[in-house]
Amino acid sequence: MSAPVEDRREEWDGPVPVPTGATAPFWAATLEGELRYQQCDCGNRQLYPRAVCTACGAEDPPFAASEGVGTIYTYTVCHVPGEPGFAERTPYVVGAVELAEGPRLLALIDADPESLEVGAPVAVTFWQVSDDAAIPVFVPA
Amino acid sequence: MAEPIVAGVAESDLGETPDRNWLDNAAIATVRALEDAGCSLSDVDGVAVAGGDDYMPALVLSEYLDLDDPSFLEGTEIGGSSFEHFCGHVGDAMARGEADVVVIAYGSTRKTGPGSEQSLEETHPIDGFVRPTGLFRPPGAYAMAARRHMHEYGTTEEQLAEIAVSTREWASMNPKAAHQDPIAVEDVLESRRIAEPFNLLDCCLVSDGGGAVVLVSEEKAGELDVPRVSVAGVASTSTHRQDISEMPDMTTTGAAVTGPKAFEQAGIAHDDVDVAQIYDSFTYTALVTLEDLGFCEKGEGGAFVEGGTTAPGGELPMNTQGGGLSYCHPGHFGVFVLIEAVRQLRGDYTGERQVDDAEVAVAHGTGGLLSSSSTVVLRREA
Repeated sequence: MSAPVEDRREEWDGPVPVPTGATAPFWAATLEGELRYQQCDCGNRQLYPRAVCTACGAEDPPFAASEGVGTIYTYTVCHVPGEPGFAERTPYVVGAVELAEGPRLLALIDADPESLEVGAPVAVTFWQVSDDAAIPVFVPA
Repeated sequence: MAEPIVAGVAESDLGETPDRNWLDNAAIATVRALEDAGCSLSDVDGVAVAGGDDYMPALVLSEYLDLDDPSFLEGTEIGGSSFEHFCGHVGDAMARGEADVVVIAYGSTRKTGPGSEQSLEETHPIDGFVRPTGLFRPPGAYAMAARRHMHEYGTTEEQLAEIAVSTREWASMNPKAAHQDPIAVEDVLESRRIAEPFNLLDCCLVSDGGGAVVLVSEEKAGELDVPRVSVAGVASTSTHRQDISEMPDMTTTGAAVTGPKAFEQAGIAHDDVDVAQIYDSFTYTALVTLEDLGFCEKGEGGAFVEGGTTAPGGELPMNTQGGGLSYCHPGHFGVFVLIEAVRQLRGDYTGERQVDDAEVAVAHGTGGLLSSSSTVVLRREA
C-alpha cells in the first residue's frame, strides 16, 4: 500500500516524533506513505515498535506493511487542547484505531465528529510534520 | 504479610497552598497524622512516598523530617494507586520485623505550583505515537475508555453524571470539600465540554495538598491508645501505562484482578463491605471500578449507580468525603482514599456523614491512564 502523504511542515506547531532505535524504521516508512507494524517470526504483531517481541522475546522483530485500513475502537472529541499547537484546532478527534492486521494505534481522526461512530471503517493518510516523520492520520473509509 | 494497623491519618491544608511546595505539604500531613496516632517523628522508622515532584522522594522526605536511620524506604511509583500498593509492602516489612512505624505520605502543589514543563523533547519512543495526536491527557484517555463502555454496554452520559451528583451530595457535608453546592444530572450534562463524552463535572478538580497515613505493627499498636483499623487485604496490578490504546480492554480495569485477590485475602464478600472509597479521577473511573470489583455485573455499572446507590443513605456509600470530583485532587488521590476509609471505620463523623457502624471498607486506587489498580480492604477490629 501507499497512502497519501501531505506536507504540513510549514503549518504544524505540535509535537513531532523523534525517530530512535526501534521506531526509526516505522517513521522512515511514513515518509513514503507506508504504515508498518512489527511482525515477529513467532507470529506476534505489535505496535508501537519495540526492541523485543512481547510474545517470544526475540530481539528487533521485523516490520511488515499494513494495508492501512481498520476500524475505530473508540474515540474522543477534544475540546481542550492537549498539546502545544492544538489550540486553533479544537474540537478535534483522537481515536484508537484497530488495524485490520490487529495492532491498535492512537491517532488523529480527520473527520466531522458528528459523522463518527465506534466500529466505523477508516483508512490511513499521513501528515508530514518534520523532515524525519509523517504522522498517521485516519479518515473515514 | 502481617496486618499493619492504621494508627493515624491526616491531610495537610487543601485547595491552594501557594506558600508551600510538595514537600512542605507531605511533611505537614505526616506530622498531623503522627499526632493523630499519638506518635512522634522519633518513632518513625519507615517512609513510603510517591508522586512528589522530586527525584528520590523517600530520601528527600526522610531528610526533610530528619529521620533517624529509617529502615524501610519505599518510592514505587504506580501513580494514584501507589499508596494502596504501599500497604502490602509495609505489611511485609513489618512481618520481617523491619519497621514498626511507617508513614505513607503524599504532597503536591498541582494547582498553584509551577507544574511540569511541557517540553517537546522526547522522553520515550512511545511519545512520538501519542503526543502528536494532541490527546488531552488524562481526560481524553479516560474519555475514550468511557466511550467504549458506552458502545459495548449502552452506558449513558446521564449514568456517568449520577456519580458526580452522588459524590457532591457527600461533599456538601464536608467542610474541607472544594465544592459543596448540590448539583443535578443536568448540571453535569450542561457543564463545559472537555473531552467527549466528558464534561467539566465528569472530571476531578485540581488542588494543592497532601495526605499521610501512619501504619504501625501489632506490637506498636498495643502501646497506643487508638482505634484498631487493620489492613486485611491488599493486591495490585497494571495493564498498560503511557498510551490508552495499549489498554487491552478499555472496559475492564486491573481492579477485576486486584478486587478478588484482596477480598479473598481479607476473607470478605461484597455484602460485608459497609463503605467504599473508589478512586474517582473521572466519573467513569468510579463506574468501571465498581463493576470490576464485583459490586455489580460487568456492563451494569450505569444502572447500578442510578438512583443514589452510592449517595448518602444509599446501598453502597461511596467517596464519603466528596471524592476527587468534589473534595480535592492534588494529582495522586490514592492517599485520600485511605484516609477517608479509616475515618469512616473509626466512626470519626457525626450525623448523616457517618456510615452507620462501618466495620469493613474497601479503598481502591487507580493510577496512570486507568493503568494501575490497587485494592485495600480495611477492617475495624473489636
